Amino acid sequence: MKIQIDKRDPLTQPQGVEPGYPQTAVRWPSQPLQKRPLTASELSGPQDVLRRLAPVRGDLAGHGAKRAIGQLIYLKARVVDEDGAPVPGAVVEIWHCNAAGKYIHPNDTHDAPVDPNFYGAARVVAGDGGLVELRTIKPAAYPVPDDPARWWRPPHVHFSVWGRVWLSRLVTQMFFPGEPLNETDAVLNAIRDPEARERCIARLAAPVKHPEQALVYEYQLVVRGRRATPGLP
Amino acid sequence: MTLGPFFPREFGQGANDLTVLDNNKIKGETIEISGRVTQGDGAPLDNAILELWQASAEGRFDDPAFCGWGRAATDADGVYRFRTIRPGAPAGRAPHVNLVILFSGLMRQLQTVMFFEGEKGNEADPVLSAVQPAALRGRLISKGQRDGSHRFDIRLRGEGETPFFDD
Repeated sequence: MKIQIDKRDPLTQPQGVEPGYPQTAVRWPSQPLQKRPLTASELSGPQDVLRRLAPVRGDLAGHGAKRAIGQLIYLKARVVDEDGAPVPGAVVEIWHCNAAGKYIHPNDTHDAPVDPNFYGAARVVAGDGGLVELRTIKPAAYPVPDDPARWWRPPHVHFSVWGRVWLSRLVTQMFFPGEPLNETDAVLNAIRDPEARERCIARLAAPVKHPEQALVYEYQLVVRGRRATPGLP
Repeated sequence: MTLGPFFPREFGQGANDLTVLDNNKIKGETIEISGRVTQGDGAPLDNAILELWQASAEGRFDDPAFCGWGRAATDADGVYRFRTIRPGAPAGRAPHVNLVILFSGLMRQLQTVMFFEGEKGNEADPVLSAVQPAALRGRLISKGQRDGSHRFDIRLRGEGETPFFDD
């Protein structure tokens, strides 16, 4: 099978150094990225990540006395490839902070409470139609630690997904619609193209009589191609 | 200090040994690849995620007995470590491992490639020889250590900056 990889559209990709995000200036390379010919090495990739990584927790919200604090939501994400075809079997990692804006992570120094019933990380496998469903709680906004600009991250959810080949690896962030902090977020607004930014924002499904009274957010992960979901840290 | 990814610790751990798969020992020469990842001011990166993709000992990317993918996280000193098998030369290429680096403040993932010191095929490798200016190519070649391991430091920016590839 001949694998084709579309060029990334610079309008839909962050450029590297972002004026509103000081850490980018010490981390992004000063030299332009090198061009290279693509060989079988870049155009192949792991087909069996699950032989190395076991699935973990498909439910972050918990139940009863173990229920995490926060607004119950369902995330319905669809993984599609560069041709728009669903990728059943795609491995997807999802992580986010709790309803007070705190991550389960030793490096998170934010003075917000930990929720003993919330562990904000899942690794799931896309089913038929490339669909991934996660029952969780809505994450909160939080102030960026130690940043003189004192900006706040809007509520967001991190996604990591493997596409068919090494170069289709995608790590990105999903945002929630209608959040005022979306307008000023240095990460989301690093994507210059408004349409590409929109692709990073989930859609609130029409409220229906959900058996759990949960709100449902729909989102699509396009791993590569002209309509690709932009990568974000 | 870092802002997302507060990449879950458990995600970063336990996937940096490519020498075993489904409890089977992989055929080939076991090697260790390690190095230190630093940023523009020389400070080490804590909890940076490195993912690796390589061919099998026979130079194949589709060997069902081998999964050429692994992941490591740097420690507080910026040090990562992979145990793997020495890759063979894929058709038309010198032996190499592909690496991608994911970290907060890296707005996009960074791609680089490590080649092995002393490999005769390095000079003819189409990816290594695409690096310009040519003087930078040596930065993509590992340094053999006395204990037999391969050292590959990565500098994101500044003095000794590692060449990275457009993806």
